[in-house]
Amino acid sequence: MKTAFSRIASASILVSAVSFATSSAIAAGGHSGMMGEVGQPGDPSKVTRTIQIEMFDNYYEPENVSIKEGETVKFVIKNSGEFVHEFNIGTAAMHADHQSEMMMMMEHGVLLSDRIDWDAAKAMQQSMGHGMHDDANSALLEPGQEAEIVWQFPEHAELEFACNVPGHYDSGMMGQIKLSH
Amino acid sequence: MKLTRLVPVIVIGIGLLPPMTAVQAETYNLTVDQVTIDTGDFTRTGIGYNGTSPGPVLRFKEGEDVTINVTNNLSSSTSIHWHGLILPFEQDGVPGISYTGIEPGETFTYRFPIVQSGTYWFHSHSGFQEPDGAYGAIVIEPKGREPFRFDREYVVQLTDAHPHSGSRVMRNLKMMPDYYNRQQRTFMDFLSDVDSKGLEPTLSDRADWGDMRMMPTDIEDLQGVTPLINGMGPTANWTGLFEPGERIRLRFINSSAMTYFDIRIPGLQMTIVQSDGNNVQPVKVDEFRIAVAETYDVIVQPKEAKAFTLFAESMSRSAFARGTLAPAEGMTAEVPMLREPPLLTMADMGMAHEGMDHGAMAMDNGAMNHGTMGQSGMPMGEHVMQDGKMMSGMDHNSMGQGMSSTNAHVMPDGSSMEGMDHSAHGGMAVDTADPFYAPGSGLTPTAYNDGKFLSYADLKAQKPLYPDREATREIELRLTGNMERYIWSINGVKYADADPIVLQYGERVRFKFVNETMMAHPMHLHGMWSILDNGNGKFDPVKHVISVAPGTTVYTETEVDAPGQWAFHCHLSYHADSGMFRKVVVEGGPNQQAAASGNDILAGGVQ
Repeated sequence: MKTAFSRIASASILVSAVSFATSSAIAAGGHSGMMGEVGQPGDPSKVTRTIQIEMFDNYYEPENVSIKEGETVKFVIKNSGEFVHEFNIGTAAMHADHQSEMMMMMEHGVLLSDRIDWDAAKAMQQSMGHGMHDDANSALLEPGQEAEIVWQFPEHAELEFACNVPGHYDSGMMGQIKLSH
Repeated sequence: MKLTRLVPVIVIGIGLLPPMTAVQAETYNLTVDQVTIDTGDFTRTGIGYNGTSPGPVLRFKEGEDVTINVTNNLSSSTSIHWHGLILPFEQDGVPGISYTGIEPGETFTYRFPIVQSGTYWFHSHSGFQEPDGAYGAIVIEPKGREPFRFDREYVVQLTDAHPHSGSRVMRNLKMMPDYYNRQQRTFMDFLSDVDSKGLEPTLSDRADWGDMRMMPTDIEDLQGVTPLINGMGPTANWTGLFEPGERIRLRFINSSAMTYFDIRIPGLQMTIVQSDGNNVQPVKVDEFRIAVAETYDVIVQPKEAKAFTLFAESMSRSAFARGTLAPAEGMTAEVPMLREPPLLTMADMGMAHEGMDHGAMAMDNGAMNHGTMGQSGMPMGEHVMQDGKMMSGMDHNSMGQGMSSTNAHVMPDGSSMEGMDHSAHGGMAVDTADPFYAPGSGLTPTAYNDGKFLSYADLKAQKPLYPDREATREIELRLTGNMERYIWSINGVKYADADPIVLQYGERVRFKFVNETMMAHPMHLHGMWSILDNGNGKFDPVKHVISVAPGTTVYTETEVDAPGQWAFHCHLSYHADSGMFRKVVVEGGPNQQAAASGNDILAGGVQ
């Protein structure tokens, strides 16, 4: 599982290398400044709960999750669909930003319906200075792939988990993260 | 929760229901009646179902066996065709092909299993009863969970109501094909063109168009319509209610006789999730065009507590349908003005025909290739006209001169003919040009806000119905016509004079549609799916109507899996009636005997 995670996490997100040259990990769709709002990568030793997330075409099970304020949660995410899907923790605004990046990936032939074209990704990296990027708050999975995310949630936030593959969020592939006492 | 309360049956969570153990069997009753249709602009008698036009929304469930009793209360024969439904051919409702029709006073009982889900419609296939109001919607709830979520849903069924009866419209069109064209160029237009373009180019243009017996405004045969949404005119303002934040599924159905619509909801983006009843990979757009007889399901999510106008503008900009999405009855939003009417260009005449192999172009991942277009499509010296009757009056020589002597041949729409000039191609927005229109076509749509306009190239099957495989053979269907005599045909032959298209059960046929006319034709094959070759390979979308734009070639493939005999026609009512129609016979297969016995009822006029 650990191996799978590293391999997948390295593919997790595409951001502008220009804007996010630092390794401050949490680029999350272009609002690094907002990262405090959404939480941070969690310490695996502090995980209090594991939540299984299964991704289908084009929806999640479960559709929403409830989490305690400040809790550190391990998400075990599996793509059981036939399309590429993402699990991304963020605010609605962060997801909206990220969707335009995903659209660019699609337009450049990097993000296909049912797989990621790694050659196209490299070509895009070379020609545009954009590349695949590690992000602790998201996993972009091809069909059959699995990943784990350990995330420490903040005290207060309006958060959603979402698939930002073009069209998926808008047709309902997103869920509420309800933070409670 | 609220969602389930609002639309208890259809919403999320269907997948949680236990699988049905017994097949459901429901009975539905429809009467075919003379009704009054009030569009706000005019009132006329027409035809409806259960006393109204449109008829009731028929809600079926995938997997159920339906029994539908149809009682004909008219004084003439009628029929109901279940548009887009996969069923035994005897149940398809086309007089002269499926059965003999339903006589006055008779009740005909349809029985068939529902083997699909999605948004469809039904209509009379007799005479001009459909343009006269005989249509309704079909909504089929799927067995499994939908690949999208919505909190409520509405059918948005469009039509183009005309004050004249369908048969009178047809008589007038036959007598004078431009009878209903209210956008004809006038002497004032002529003077204005002379002023802006000079006398000689203007005269030359007019001569070219005259020789082709067409006008640049020949986009719709039938103007003077009042578009309706669910039977309501723009003033009556059909309204769909919502609560802010909800996802609304809109099931658009174009039940028009003749009118394509460009649909938008200013202030909301629409996510297309289904086309012709089959789910597509969701694509977010600002506007889309719906051909006659197509359906599109879209999801919108208004977050503000205000009204939004649902605006469906006819392709020729001669009329619009208008509705409203609002948090409360009576709320309205601004209604946009009609945009400028488009003018057809030389590209729509098939001038740029060579090299416009759209299937192949779309293969290139939707990106059109300048080189390919420039090389094969444009040099006027090598221009090859199609041999369709409509083009027979064209003078190739003068055309060639016109094109080569002036680098910027001035088009009737005032634009220069970019398509003819290689260098001008650099200026085209190649990345976004819609490959399903001839380059330079006057009909190529653009979104009202310069945003995303849906293209056929964007449609990808969510879950392909058939494995992708090589077609076993190709059949070319040239869409032809003689506007002067209002004859529409296939391969130059009208239905009454044509042999059936014979297919073999089990084959996969590739249809090559070559549109040699200047009008778009929404081609509808009954009984079997049309897989649109839009370059998406195994994700090519599965449809029941394929619109073929002027001057283009479009390919579809059909898995021949339905024995019997079927109709195959242009869904523009007056084109189908005047001959752009074929019977398809499927030989062999499990139901061979039925197909053979069905041959006894071939004769007789259809539609």
